[in-house]
Amino acid sequence: MIEDLEFNDWCPGCGNFGILRAEEEALGELGLDYKNAIIVSGIGCSGKTPHFINVDISGVHTLHGRSIAFATGIKLANPSLKVILNVGDGDTLGIGLGHFVSAGRRNLSFVIMMHDNGVYGLTKGQASPTLPKGEKTKSLPKPNINAPINPISIAIAAGYSFVARAYAYDTQSTKEIIKEAILHKGSAFIDVLQPCPTYNDINTIDWYKERIYKLDIDPNVNNPSQRLEKIKQAIDIAYQEDKIGIGIVYKDLTIEPFEDRLLSNIPGYIQYYPAKTEISNNNRSISDLTSLIDELKV
Amino acid sequence: MRIDWLIGGPQGSGVDTISLVFARSIAKAGYFVYGNREYYSNIKGRHSYSSLAISDKQIHSINENIDILATFDAETLFQHFHEVKKVAIYDQNLLDTRLNILYGVEKEIADDIKSRLNNNDPKISDVIQYLKDKNITLIPVDIGSITRSVANDLKVSSLIADRTKNTIVLAISMRLLGLDLSFLEMAIKDVFKDKNTVDINKKAIDKANELDIKNIFNLKQIEKDDRVILDGTTASALGKINAGLGFQSYYPITPASDESTYIEAHQIVKTDNGTRNIVVLQTEDELAAINSAVGAALTGVRSATATSGPGFSLMSEGISWAGMNEVPVVITYYMRGAPATGLPTRSGQGDLEFALHVGHGEFPRIVIASGDHKEVYLDAIWAFNIAEKYQTPVIHIVEKALANSFTTLNKSLFDRANIERGILASNFDNYKRFKFTDNGISPRAFLGQARIFYTGDEHNEFGHIDEESVNRTKMYEKRMKKLLLADQEIKEEDRLNVYGDGDIAVITWGSPKGVLLDIMPSLEEKGVNITLIQIKMFNPFPKQLVKNLLRDKKLIIDVESNYDAQAEKVMKREIGIGADAYILKWSGRQIMSDELLDAFDRVLKGNKKVVLTGGR
Repeated sequence: MIEDLEFNDWCPGCGNFGILRAEEEALGELGLDYKNAIIVSGIGCSGKTPHFINVDISGVHTLHGRSIAFATGIKLANPSLKVILNVGDGDTLGIGLGHFVSAGRRNLSFVIMMHDNGVYGLTKGQASPTLPKGEKTKSLPKPNINAPINPISIAIAAGYSFVARAYAYDTQSTKEIIKEAILHKGSAFIDVLQPCPTYNDINTIDWYKERIYKLDIDPNVNNPSQRLEKIKQAIDIAYQEDKIGIGIVYKDLTIEPFEDRLLSNIPGYIQYYPAKTEISNNNRSISDLTSLIDELKV
Repeated sequence: MRIDWLIGGPQGSGVDTISLVFARSIAKAGYFVYGNREYYSNIKGRHSYSSLAISDKQIHSINENIDILATFDAETLFQHFHEVKKVAIYDQNLLDTRLNILYGVEKEIADDIKSRLNNNDPKISDVIQYLKDKNITLIPVDIGSITRSVANDLKVSSLIADRTKNTIVLAISMRLLGLDLSFLEMAIKDVFKDKNTVDINKKAIDKANELDIKNIFNLKQIEKDDRVILDGTTASALGKINAGLGFQSYYPITPASDESTYIEAHQIVKTDNGTRNIVVLQTEDELAAINSAVGAALTGVRSATATSGPGFSLMSEGISWAGMNEVPVVITYYMRGAPATGLPTRSGQGDLEFALHVGHGEFPRIVIASGDHKEVYLDAIWAFNIAEKYQTPVIHIVEKALANSFTTLNKSLFDRANIERGILASNFDNYKRFKFTDNGISPRAFLGQARIFYTGDEHNEFGHIDEESVNRTKMYEKRMKKLLLADQEIKEEDRLNVYGDGDIAVITWGSPKGVLLDIMPSLEEKGVNITLIQIKMFNPFPKQLVKNLLRDKKLIIDVESNYDAQAEKVMKREIGIGADAYILKWSGRQIMSDELLDAFDRVLKGNKKVVLTGGR
């Protein structure tokens, strides 16, 4: 049975509602629940997603910037779980950027959905790492003098094998992107653009309406020789001006996920991963140290 | 009996390995050994050295003053000649080498050497004269000619043959001790698996056997039980593996990394059912190390990380989350010289209070500290049992002095560990991860078993965010209650060790315990009888037992490797009793038997505080 959900305290009109709806539908359509999946989140408005989601699924609401680290531990200890992260732009590209880049190097199978609204909402609207330079959203005392990080570009550079852009209020296409990301083997990153009706009075629903369009490209890298061309295509999309294409930007099917790399060190890893194996029998260790001790014998 | 031996050489010249080879040789002859490594934070060239204590009984410490100084370079001779009591082995081709051309010698040390030799531009020949004047037995060796003949005989390059110079010094040491060189040959085979390397070293041993060396110490082979030789990082790794470790994360840091690389090298563990696998993850930083370990623990896996001071500082927020979410995770804290980068390769006990208070907020932090290699191994197992029983992070302190030192232990120690996993949930419907219970322990379910919520925010029984005042009060108390329960359930006898029964109490923790054990017989000979109290668990503190043990003592002496007498401060806070006198050392070098014995003399003459500085 599903226990009472938290009272959802996001602001009326928040882009998170669209993301939540798309995520709920995607999980439902893929038949995911607490037995085979988990939601991990960071800190910020997006961090509350696991408490608000109306799906029979577990949630781990972690620390600011550290959700990728938690998710990595969960996935490696129990690779049978699908791991979906709901993180903020400050969470991921500010305080947690080191983890974000490192995750790309590993290509462990999980989905990072970055709620991207350009502001730190819960602390009253400071500039996030994605807010363009020179913009002065309504709670900033002065225009933003930091240049923005381009999420798509940095994800590609870090080595993410699935990179997409979504728009919170297009729940249908966001849902489809989430589903594909969950089914992808390797690290998937979705930059989910969302208005913040309370603090971002520049990138509003109307602002997005004028710019959003659906991408019509083939993002797939089916063999390594196509990689450079597809990266160039993705970078062009990443730096689009005046219009914003949504959809899968880049999908590299030639990079082995981290789970497979582990297999080369631990051939039995997928069948006998740590969460699946017993460690004791009647309170007695089943681990046999004999061969290790023999190496140390004098 | 006790013989102290020291070998030195430039970092990267194989001093570490060769001291282990020597220790193995001695151990094969039936003796107990205790060895310690001292090295700079440097890859190649700076002065490093290894001390080895040899005894017919279990031994836990090194001496500053040594019986045999084994050298093949000039710097070791300059650095350590004043510590020699009996014999010095040196390369006779180095007599003209001047101290002033050895740029790696720190100025303070060079000044000290010059003043000892009363010479502003001393050469090795001046050192040799000094030793002669002190009636030290000198063993000059033409190391170059021996390695050249090894090169000639085996047709190997002089560069390769040159690497046997430390083996030559070992062979000479064995002969001084009176032990058969076959023990050395066996040890070489154990450590260097490659046949060529073994052959070259064997040839060097044969050449050294032709030298005219007297048997000075007259040791005989003695009967022994089945023993292993290991250092502290290996002891901890073995404990963790036996305890069922499934996930270990780490970010490279001295001296903690050795533990993780050992585990990774042995990550496929033989079990009664076949094998089980340990995932070892080298993370991007210590933030990822602690938080990935916490994540793994949520899946029911026994999970740990290992670090040193700078990394532990970065971990503090993650430890706070683990406390809030009642996550059993073990953090092995290899304590070294701090603050900041401090003395990255040296030891210290300056972070005890930090470990006790790490992370913001109030939550049960269980802190244990091992006093010797056997305890490092057993406490690594204990840490997991406590972490899972009380569902809270456990910090296991192992100083660098134990991490990088090595000793012989009985093989039977490594039998199957006792494993207690705490209370696990059996009903997963409408599961409440943080269910209120009388003793504060909620039955634990793992991710995948039930619908579970975790949050770093204050939460209700389900794990949903809940800031309401009454819930906050109750949930907070539930977490804190677990520490009371641990205090009731964990026997105080298990939280400390007591040795001896005298009218003077000595309070200590960690590696100084072994040094105190080693000097107790000498103290007794002087009519000084001590009750040695080694605190092993600092939180919850064994209050009643320590109080009882301190009753009617005429003097309480605190011995620690820090400035602030931190363990004594904790004791004072917990039971209101402090020490009368202090013996403290924060130089980064471990406390040595002879300097500690001397410090006791001074304390017993009325000195309230003695600061130790021994060791290069």
